[in-house]
Amino acid sequence: MTFEINGQEHTLDIPADITALEVIRSLLGLTGTKEGCGIGECGACTIVVDGKSVNSCLMLGAQLDGTKVLTVEGLATEASLAPLQEQFMKNHGVQCGFCTPGILMSTHALLEENPDPDTEEISKALAGNLCRCTGYQQIFASVKAAATASRDDRITGGKNG
Amino acid sequence: MKSEYNSIGKNIQRRDIVEKLTGQANFCADIALKDALSLKVLRSSRHHAVIDKIDVSDALKIPGVVNVFTAADIPGKNLMGIINKDQPLLAHDKVRSLADPVALVAAQTDEIARQAIKVINVTYTDLEPIFDIEAALAPGAPKIHKKGNTLFTRRIKKGDAGTAFETCHTIIEKKYMTHAVEHNYIEPDAGAGYVDEDGTLVIYASTQNPHYDHKEVQGFLGLKDDQVRIIQAATGGGFGSKLDLNVQGFIGLALYHLKQPVRYVYTREESYLATAKRHPFTIHMKTGADKNGKLKAIHIRAYCNTGAYGSYGIAVASRSAVHGTGPYEIDHVDIECACIYTNQPFCGAMRGFGAPQMAFAHESQMDLLAKKLGMDPMEIRMLNGFKKGSINGTGQQLIDSVGYPECLEKIMPYYEEALTNWVTEKTTPFTKRGIGIGGMWYGIGNTGVQNPSTARIELDQNGRVILYTGCADIGQGSSTILTQVAGEVLGIAPEAIQLVVGDTKFTTNAGATSASRQTYISGNAVKDAAEQLARVLLTEGANKLKVSKTALSFGDHSLQIAGHPERSVAFDWLAKRIHEKGVSLSWQGYFDPETIPLDLETGQGSPYATYAFACHLALVEVDVLTGQVSVKKIVAAHDVGRAIHPENVIGQICGGVAMGVGFALMEAFEFGKTLSMKDYHIPTCADMPEVIPIIVESVEPTGPFGAKGVGEPALIPTAPAILNAVSHALGKRLYSLPADLESVLQASIDSGHFGPEEKM
Ligand code: FES
Ligand code: FES
Repeated sequence: MTFEINGQEHTLDIPADITALEVIRSLLGLTGTKEGCGIGECGACTIVVDGKSVNSCLMLGAQLDGTKVLTVEGLATEASLAPLQEQFMKNHGVQCGFCTPGILMSTHALLEENPDPDTEEISKALAGNLCRCTGYQQIFASVKAAATASRDDRITGGKNG
Repeated sequence: MKSEYNSIGKNIQRRDIVEKLTGQANFCADIALKDALSLKVLRSSRHHAVIDKIDVSDALKIPGVVNVFTAADIPGKNLMGIINKDQPLLAHDKVRSLADPVALVAAQTDEIARQAIKVINVTYTDLEPIFDIEAALAPGAPKIHKKGNTLFTRRIKKGDAGTAFETCHTIIEKKYMTHAVEHNYIEPDAGAGYVDEDGTLVIYASTQNPHYDHKEVQGFLGLKDDQVRIIQAATGGGFGSKLDLNVQGFIGLALYHLKQPVRYVYTREESYLATAKRHPFTIHMKTGADKNGKLKAIHIRAYCNTGAYGSYGIAVASRSAVHGTGPYEIDHVDIECACIYTNQPFCGAMRGFGAPQMAFAHESQMDLLAKKLGMDPMEIRMLNGFKKGSINGTGQQLIDSVGYPECLEKIMPYYEEALTNWVTEKTTPFTKRGIGIGGMWYGIGNTGVQNPSTARIELDQNGRVILYTGCADIGQGSSTILTQVAGEVLGIAPEAIQLVVGDTKFTTNAGATSASRQTYISGNAVKDAAEQLARVLLTEGANKLKVSKTALSFGDHSLQIAGHPERSVAFDWLAKRIHEKGVSLSWQGYFDPETIPLDLETGQGSPYATYAFACHLALVEVDVLTGQVSVKKIVAAHDVGRAIHPENVIGQICGGVAMGVGFALMEAFEFGKTLSMKDYHIPTCADMPEVIPIIVESVEPTGPFGAKGVGEPALIPTAPAILNAVSHALGKRLYSLPADLESVLQASIDSGHFGPEEKM
């Protein structure tokens, strides 16, 4: 099977019964994606496949064939954090950090599709991501700040262009 | 207004934030050790039984199984427990619950290990199991441990409650129940380890107390201090359950015998079964007041079911007894809280150590008293609340930093606004609105026992400062805060301090990350270390700059004559000079809070050196047809002493409120029935109300820059406030947690949906 992950193409032979999560963590060694429950309840394993956020523990490895995958390792560049990560840093959206990769993936997919979500829409995007530490408030603040920052960028961009 | 501090009170960047945002932080399950074997424990299939025989021969025949260990393979002492040692690493003579580990398999893969445990044959002779407190205390009940079924009772006796009740105008007497709760940190317990070239067993742990882990593993294996090294890996939350050894002992045992890398990652299901829960409580509480609402007497008999082992049960019983009065001055106190063994899987520490359970009871009592006396819930709390000079149930006078009145004052405008405008607003016919108050106090540190912390600060020859601390940062942010404390003393940016955290080879014991103690106790230890280093720097700085030490101030990695930054001397120069003179550049700090042990009969003493205070206001809507409670807003005022990192404090408050919402409305761990995350629901973002955190800074003179703590206090008032609000909405009170759909619906039906009268 062949697929692209964080901009890199991989061709792998995988056992039929392993999950996408196992492919990513065990075969590719990308351990940023976490396992919290293995049954689709916690969202720690969330990745973005062809623009949509999915629980990789519920997805078969074979289903990755032909897809474009983004994991938490693919967000930042060598030089800098992605704007979404920046905002989680500034708005204290991380405590223990175990839920963080999944939450970043869910909200990244949201913002790609809807750059200006309201509280309700953020809530919907995060419904499957559990966080036991933060009570979510600073996570919401982080996502909203990321949306605002990108809107300001667009406005400035518009003016200049 | 410009702050008098450079670092304290600033929302600086969290230490490990970039790693956590980019997926680079290594949690135990992420640690790649070449050729690591998988471990898996076979747990008891019986609630209570004698082990006659364990036959592992079939398991050993499976290709890929490397070995199977039982109690007989433990070379040292096969018992653990931080307060009382009653829990074997692997069961030897009997099993006391379904969680008890019986044999440990090491195999090439997880799958092979799973197969192997299925074919281990254990022969048991069943004993009568006991699940509840009544059965455990019945005369002639089978003994779960040799010493009997009562592990511990804490008594607090002050004045003469019996006589005082006779003079009370109003008395409320009720029974309250709470449920077992799962910590449900998102990272399941895990660990990994290898044997290094010197033969030292190196164990990575997801832990709240690396130095305790170290001592226990050493004890199991009969090894010397330097033969075991615990390194705290990135830890995905703990909330009390990662105070116990979850996988560390198994990893140590396998390393000892196999000398080959091993790893053990609990599935969520095993984490649910095998780790501690919050103690379920039964509380009989009787509170009496005079006609003006002044509290006169309290009588409490409380029981907590600790299951098969003590873990932190003694601390839970002790703390809950001390906190039974609530944050109120009462002259006549008669409290007993007993911790009882049963054959349920064990309970242990969980955020608040019994104080959240007790707060549900004492705050319900306050509202019941207020109602009967025709008082306002805020008024009765204001009247009785601790203030400077108050004496608590243990006979300790609260002298400084008693911010309860201020917390109430901060809540007051929100309360009045909600009462006059929000509650009265028109809603749908089947929605009832209510508001409720929850108050709390919380002693910082362990109860009536010495619980010191240590830390070390070093200046290297290049003038860099390195802080060594055994304090486990489990996400709450202690590492960041400790660098703020050290940075403030030494006049350097906290970010410039190098950190070594939770590695027993390099750090010294900071005690547990629990009891909301690390900011206050380890903060003080770090401050002490930093001040000692500062003294040495000042001496050498004065020598060099030829002025008195008092004329010097710290600049950026330098000392300067105050007001003359051009006349300065850099740390690296000072470091070399101090070293040449044969003076140490490495200083150890120490702090042990001032406490007086509680008398075993009367509970009189000084259990804590300082207390945090808080008050929450909850606004709820109850759907009277479905029993659905929707929490709309929580206003949370917390006296934290000094907020060293305000955004971290807010993070603790918001996270605590979330856990409080779960405790109040949805979380019930049913032993034997709650098996996976499908069966247990914690709040999602959709369950969360708007939280308005209010930081009250009633500076604690003995705290590092005035700080106390907030981790556990954050959760404690939430459930009482919500339950009082539900009762306000329905005119019907619930006495059992969680107030789930069914019980709220029942209360709604009992109250005739809109019943105006509370039936007491
Ligand atoms: S690990 Fe996939 S949803 Fe929990
Ligand atoms: S930050 Fe710990 S689970 Fe979200």
